[in-house]
Amino acid sequence: MAATATERALGLGEWAVTGDRDAVLTCLGLGSCVALVLHDPSTSVGGMAHMVLPDSGAGRATDSSPAKFVDLAVPLLVEAMARAGANRSKVQARLVGGASMLEMPGRPNTMQIGERNAIAARAAIAAQKLPIVEEHLGGTKGRTVRLEVGTGRVDVSTAGQRE
Amino acid sequence: MSETEFGPWSELVQLGTKKAMQGLSEMIGADIEVNDLELKLVPVTEVSNAFGGRDEDAVGIYLSVSGSADGHLMLMYEPRIALAFVDLLMGQPISTTDSLDGMGRSALGEMGNIIGAFFLGAIADATGLALSPSPPSVMTDMAGALLDVVSADILLTQDETYVAEASFRVHGEDINGVFMVMPTQELFETIVNSTKVA
Repeated sequence: MAATATERALGLGEWAVTGDRDAVLTCLGLGSCVALVLHDPSTSVGGMAHMVLPDSGAGRATDSSPAKFVDLAVPLLVEAMARAGANRSKVQARLVGGASMLEMPGRPNTMQIGERNAIAARAAIAAQKLPIVEEHLGGTKGRTVRLEVGTGRVDVSTAGQRE
Repeated sequence: MSETEFGPWSELVQLGTKKAMQGLSEMIGADIEVNDLELKLVPVTEVSNAFGGRDEDAVGIYLSVSGSADGHLMLMYEPRIALAFVDLLMGQPISTTDSLDGMGRSALGEMGNIIGAFFLGAIADATGLALSPSPPSVMTDMAGALLDVVSADILLTQDETYVAEASFRVHGEDINGVFMVMPTQELFETIVNSTKVA
């Protein structure tokens, strides 16, 4: 996939919101991580967060990756959408990722992280009273998600194929 | 983590890698030389850069570490390097294997067993700690997705991790790969503290 001048790939714990109709936001190679994709079709404002862990209470707070925790990232992204001019009542949510990359007994916390991320993300979005219009969650394969902000088009692919 | 901690950790990783390659040499019946071993402290978010990006295909061999402290061992290779290892392990000329089947996965898993056991054994001998590897998991997917297996756990407590990048020479051919030892903060501190006492 050729990168455009305005394509931005979000690393672990990064987020972005933009009203630039030419912008493309991506999260590449999501395993247990979950990407939150927000889009308001009425204003063409879009946002994305690359979330790693479900709960900020379980880990150390850090400034370097503000969207690392689902419980902090979801309200942060929703507020940023409003500041960028999105009509909150029109914002649609999509969730991508949350896979279990390996199954191994004895390390339950690590191994269930994808599922826990997905559960936490659904709950946090429900708390914001936003509709989840599309989910690509779970399974055992990594995913890449791409949002064209101007059109609201969302593409999800796994290694070698579109989902 | 500091410079004074980096020294003993670096020495242990070099010792462990050397022992692991000795074990692997015995397994395949050919000398494997460690050409170069570079140990870096990098942000967890940038580890996938070593593979050309999060969505590049990669093969990962993962073992968890348990005992005196918990941690992760992950060996990650570009697919063509992983296939070269399969050929070495099966005693075939390099480039014989062109896709990773069940036999190839099993061979890579066995390689993970040998490397994990020798690497952790060397560190355990040097520090007096008990460190055991789990059975290996061999995974093929996007590099970023494979790294999530360890990144999520490490990001719970820290933003940076140690990555060892190694290149090897066997049968006169260079094999570049990333042999990543990603200790959790707990494992790192346990190991460094044990070297201070010793």
